Amino acid sequence: MVEPVVSVEGLVKRYDGLAAVDGVSFEVQKGEIFALLGPNGAGKTTTIEILECIRQPTAGSVKVLGHSVAASHGASEIKKRIGVLPPEFGALGRLTVAENLSFFAGMYDTSVDVMGLLDLLEIRSVAKVRFADLSGGLKQRVGFAVALVNDPELILLDEPTTGLDFETRRITRKVIGDLHAKGKTIILTTHYMAEAEQFGDRMGILCGGKIIALDTPAALLGKFGGGKTVIFKSGGDAAFGTLRRFFDTVSMDGSDVVLPFERLRDLEVALTALVGRGLEVEVVLHSPTIEDVFLRLTGLKMSDTGEAN
Amino acid sequence: MVSIAVTRNWLRSRSGLLFSFLFPVMLLLILGGIYGNPDSPGQAVGQNTASYFLPGLIAAFIMTNGVIGLTNVGSELKRNGVLRRLSATPLTKLEWVLGNLLSQTILALALAAVMLILGAALYNISVLINAYSLVVLFLGALLFSGVGMSLAGLVKDPEVASGLGNIIAFPMMLLSGTFWPISSMPSYLQTVAQALPLTYFADGLRNSMISANFSAAFTDLVVVAVFALVLVLLGARFTQWKES
Repeated sequence: MVEPVVSVEGLVKRYDGLAAVDGVSFEVQKGEIFALLGPNGAGKTTTIEILECIRQPTAGSVKVLGHSVAASHGASEIKKRIGVLPPEFGALGRLTVAENLSFFAGMYDTSVDVMGLLDLLEIRSVAKVRFADLSGGLKQRVGFAVALVNDPELILLDEPTTGLDFETRRITRKVIGDLHAKGKTIILTTHYMAEAEQFGDRMGILCGGKIIALDTPAALLGKFGGGKTVIFKSGGDAAFGTLRRFFDTVSMDGSDVVLPFERLRDLEVALTALVGRGLEVEVVLHSPTIEDVFLRLTGLKMSDTGEAN
Repeated sequence: MVSIAVTRNWLRSRSGLLFSFLFPVMLLLILGGIYGNPDSPGQAVGQNTASYFLPGLIAAFIMTNGVIGLTNVGSELKRNGVLRRLSATPLTKLEWVLGNLLSQTILALALAAVMLILGAALYNISVLINAYSLVVLFLGALLFSGVGMSLAGLVKDPEVASGLGNIIAFPMMLLSGTFWPISSMPSYLQTVAQALPLTYFADGLRNSMISANFSAAFTDLVVVAVFALVLVLLGARFTQWKES
């Protein structure tokens, strides 16, 4: 049996008695993209920083590439073979992009194709620009290039697209796809549900320091997504009252009326009833998303900024 | 590798260049212009002459580079997440600390060279470069780098760290015999001066470079060495690398 690239068992991290990570367990296999999804404060960054060997666990066992993060020799071996992109990458501001890449590359024993990395992240045009003079999006792309400078076996991306411009998000997602195709193992944290669903071969949903669900996106949708629904947009009380006479399972979400979609016949009955009452509403067939999974599991909705309420 | 990158980063800063090199040169020109240098080679150093000021200025600005400059840079790197990113690489904290110490030493030697060349060219200052002067220079750079690293590591807010650096540096500069002899100060301030590392650093340079008083230079060297050892260890201890 092949040893997993990452093995986390019963991970706990406490700060002043407060558990930021509270008994998290998961494994990541070689060549997999594992997404850790959760709102701000869920424990994603703390978990990833422990994998990066810059934080120590309070309890539990964490092994990366066969080495324990708790052992100093293990940590130094791990650092040689991983690439890291933190949420806000910082470099020496008065060095150019190329100089910063060379500076970071000098810390590893591998030789690096600096120009190749610049082309991959589409930042060759700013190779001679000082890092401090770059926009936020370009800085993050430089950070991604630095994360790949040692051709790492495992790449840890902490919120890689949060708050960035469209072009940087596009390039970041393209590079993640390229790396996956090359068989790299990637762990990424995000609060963007669509991103986790798009990239994750498997995902762990983190909330309050605990993993509340862990599986492939399809399996999570099947288990917790709740099935397809028909939404009658802005149908209001009139539509609800009409459909309630035919279906016990109809409900309201704000002014929208929601009917679980089980059979085509049900849709026909619903539409006929509404038309018969002279109600004209927009009809949307909704397939479950990870957002629905999250809502069902936690009772919370997550905003674009990662706040859950 | 670290020292080259850090030195390059420092020298490309306009404020760093102005404060590290232009300001001390300007002060030398002003003080030299006011007092001149009637000392002849071999003559005892007069107390209000360019020969007196030059070593003090070199020491004082090596001090400010460490206490203010390195504090600012270190705090900034901490705030911008650079140290966090570096700590996830194979670079060890020891390598980072040594790299910064070496960088400060390079800057100290460069500053000293500029000042000594100007002093000799403009004011006919006769300078002795010997093992004592080089070792004192090196130890002084280490000493004040340790102070800068400690402040940068201990104080979270870069602006507060910078303020503290200024509060430490400027009184020390005024009290350590940089601009006037300590003997001309009131006795209670002379007592304070005797407790300041810059006093021994400046005297060590003066005794080794100008007066050729090597027995006094040796005493200064030992004091500077002890301060340097303690402060470098503290600086390394307080540099935040990974979570302790």
